[in-house]
Amino acid sequence: MRIVSKNAQQPGFLPGAALIVAFALILCQPLKVSGAEPPLRVVTTTATLGVFAASVGGDQVDVRVLAPPDRDPHYLEARPSFMAALRRADLLIEMGADLEEGWLPVVQRGAGNPKILTGNSGHLRAADPLHLRPSITMEGPNLGHVHAEGNPHFHIHPGLMRRVLFDVAQRLSELRPTHEQQFRHQARTLARDLDTHVEALITQVTPGTLMLTYHEDLDYLAEWLPVKDVGHLEPLPGIPPTARHLQRLVAELSDQPSGVVLHAIYQPGQGAEFIKERLGWRTASVRMEPPVDGDFDDYLELLSELASAVSH
Amino acid sequence: MLLHKRPLMASAIGALMVPLLAMPVKADHLDVDISVIFDAVYFNELSHGNDAPAGFSGGHDHGHSHDHGHGHGHDHGFDDGFNLGHSELAVEATLGSALVGSLMLGITEDEIEVEELYVQTLSLPSGLQLKAGKFLSDVGYINSQHSHDWDFVERPLVNEFLFGDHGIQETGVQATWLAPSETYTLFGVELLQGKTSGIANHIGAQSPEHGQARILEDVSGPRLITGFVKFAPDLGADNAAQIGASVGYSRSYQVTDGHSTRNEDWNGTATFAGLDGVFKHDAGGSYGHGDWRLQAEYFYRVQDVDRRDVNFAEDSRGPVGHVRNVQSFKNEQDGLYVQGVYGIAPRWEAGLRGEALGLTNDLGRGDGASEDTSYRYSAQLTFRPIEPVFIRAQLSQEDFASDHGREKGVNFMLQLNVALGAHGAHRF
Repeated sequence: MRIVSKNAQQPGFLPGAALIVAFALILCQPLKVSGAEPPLRVVTTTATLGVFAASVGGDQVDVRVLAPPDRDPHYLEARPSFMAALRRADLLIEMGADLEEGWLPVVQRGAGNPKILTGNSGHLRAADPLHLRPSITMEGPNLGHVHAEGNPHFHIHPGLMRRVLFDVAQRLSELRPTHEQQFRHQARTLARDLDTHVEALITQVTPGTLMLTYHEDLDYLAEWLPVKDVGHLEPLPGIPPTARHLQRLVAELSDQPSGVVLHAIYQPGQGAEFIKERLGWRTASVRMEPPVDGDFDDYLELLSELASAVSH
Repeated sequence: MLLHKRPLMASAIGALMVPLLAMPVKADHLDVDISVIFDAVYFNELSHGNDAPAGFSGGHDHGHSHDHGHGHGHDHGFDDGFNLGHSELAVEATLGSALVGSLMLGITEDEIEVEELYVQTLSLPSGLQLKAGKFLSDVGYINSQHSHDWDFVERPLVNEFLFGDHGIQETGVQATWLAPSETYTLFGVELLQGKTSGIANHIGAQSPEHGQARILEDVSGPRLITGFVKFAPDLGADNAAQIGASVGYSRSYQVTDGHSTRNEDWNGTATFAGLDGVFKHDAGGSYGHGDWRLQAEYFYRVQDVDRRDVNFAEDSRGPVGHVRNVQSFKNEQDGLYVQGVYGIAPRWEAGLRGEALGLTNDLGRGDGASEDTSYRYSAQLTFRPIEPVFIRAQLSQEDFASDHGREKGVNFMLQLNVALGAHGAHRF
């Protein structure tokens, strides 16, 4: 503001050039909030990571989520607006394990911001320290996605995401050491809330419930709920369900007790309906992410929805 | 590097590829991505039209007709029947977070050509990036895309005839700056050697004809400079758009053409400017169902040349070395295309494209002429059974003007494209 008013008092001196310089300065150096440090600019790929960053970081972070919560995070495009978001970011948090492999590397390279490149201090891959469930892409023929590091859809597994809370706190502490206590305290509080919430959910589900899922993106439910994962509607990850594959599933499961077929809201429901007609299984179309700009309760609510989808 | 019908070199590269491909494609200690794009096209000319659009047969128009597959005329490069299309071997590797290197070999039936071989910085501060090597220029929208990213089998006419058979694919350096603004705003400048046939054709000095100097001279590179800006507002979860503007100037544009008794030489400069835009809608359906995208580009080109013909044989006008047709003139030409693609069902896309070439088609040679506009209309249907594979059927009608009137040609194409290996993410 100071620069603009100064130029306004001297209209005779190259006003056009001065205006351009003023605009450039405003563009390059967004006005600093006097006194307090400006919030860290955190960009996350998914809405769950956005909730985690915002919940741990509190008033010290300004969070932008790239992937809309109702879209498959495998299939996003490397949009220029994503690059603009990363251009000024202090920290990029991704799930990793190749979940965002189809678009994020191009966005990182196009952002012109060395901080958020893989391996640098402004980049956090949630999957890296975690022991992931093996992806079925690691066994059979590689036709669709290949997730050599394991199944990347662990955001619905509280046991692993608990660790992510502390990893986010650790990284935020490195970027803003003055608030380390605040970040660690938040992570501990949130982890406790998560533990309490999950204990209650586990008791809701009848042990041994059979579960079919469309893709391997809901497999992690079997890691913490007493359900049994008995297969996928896709013959191979990334390959749409075929009649032959669905019929084989029906044949295999015909002598089993009835279970539930789950698919994400952005996946077609015909395959689940087929199983419902033949075997009388329940079907459920489920949200995969909390809303963008949601809080930690929205994440807990998402877990509740998933648990009730398999239990009712 | 152009390995024209050299089976030895080709098999040497093949022998190198085999162990590379046999390795796990993304080993952690290597961080090298290798992929092969296989492309094949069945081509059928249903009716034969004019071979080249008026005003664009080579550097200048003599009213000659050029056969398919030859010369500088319209060359979609396809024979009637089965064709190995434009296959590619792509290798990409990073040097920590400092540099990314990329090699893209274009493979056709009888040649292997380096299409791109460059390194690009990743670690410069303040949104700056530098690229050096051979690369596809970032002017316009489709110029920097490889053919497997196209929505139609063929390169747009405006890109082929204003620039060249490979668009602007040059050796040089590029600097870009991404502004630190809320809205994506990218500025770029490229200094290029200058070989692209439509804007920077370079022949170099010629030996005199019986003591009579000819006008072409060596112009050292870089001869071609381009600049571009891209602007992409954030339109939320469902929509994305990018608009761009590009300019370019070549300080050498040269043409030579042999007639029965004389060589005709043009020596001058060329300038171009253009606008491009793309809008994409993501409907959130499965496998692209309901998605659509619109894409359009317009380019305008001026060739500003001095002409001077020299006899290499005696004719009625004069002896060997006789100079005539000394003139200076400009060719002003343009072209555009508009295309749209819609996801008609999960994994199915249908698209339409309309193209015009020579809306302005003013040629200054001789007494000057204004040629008619040529058009092409294409419709395509694409099926993606699985992510790395597509099968595309395309019908194109070419309505090309020529000195002896308009003639319509219709072509049918069936394309099979398969991406094997760790293919890098696609750009917007």
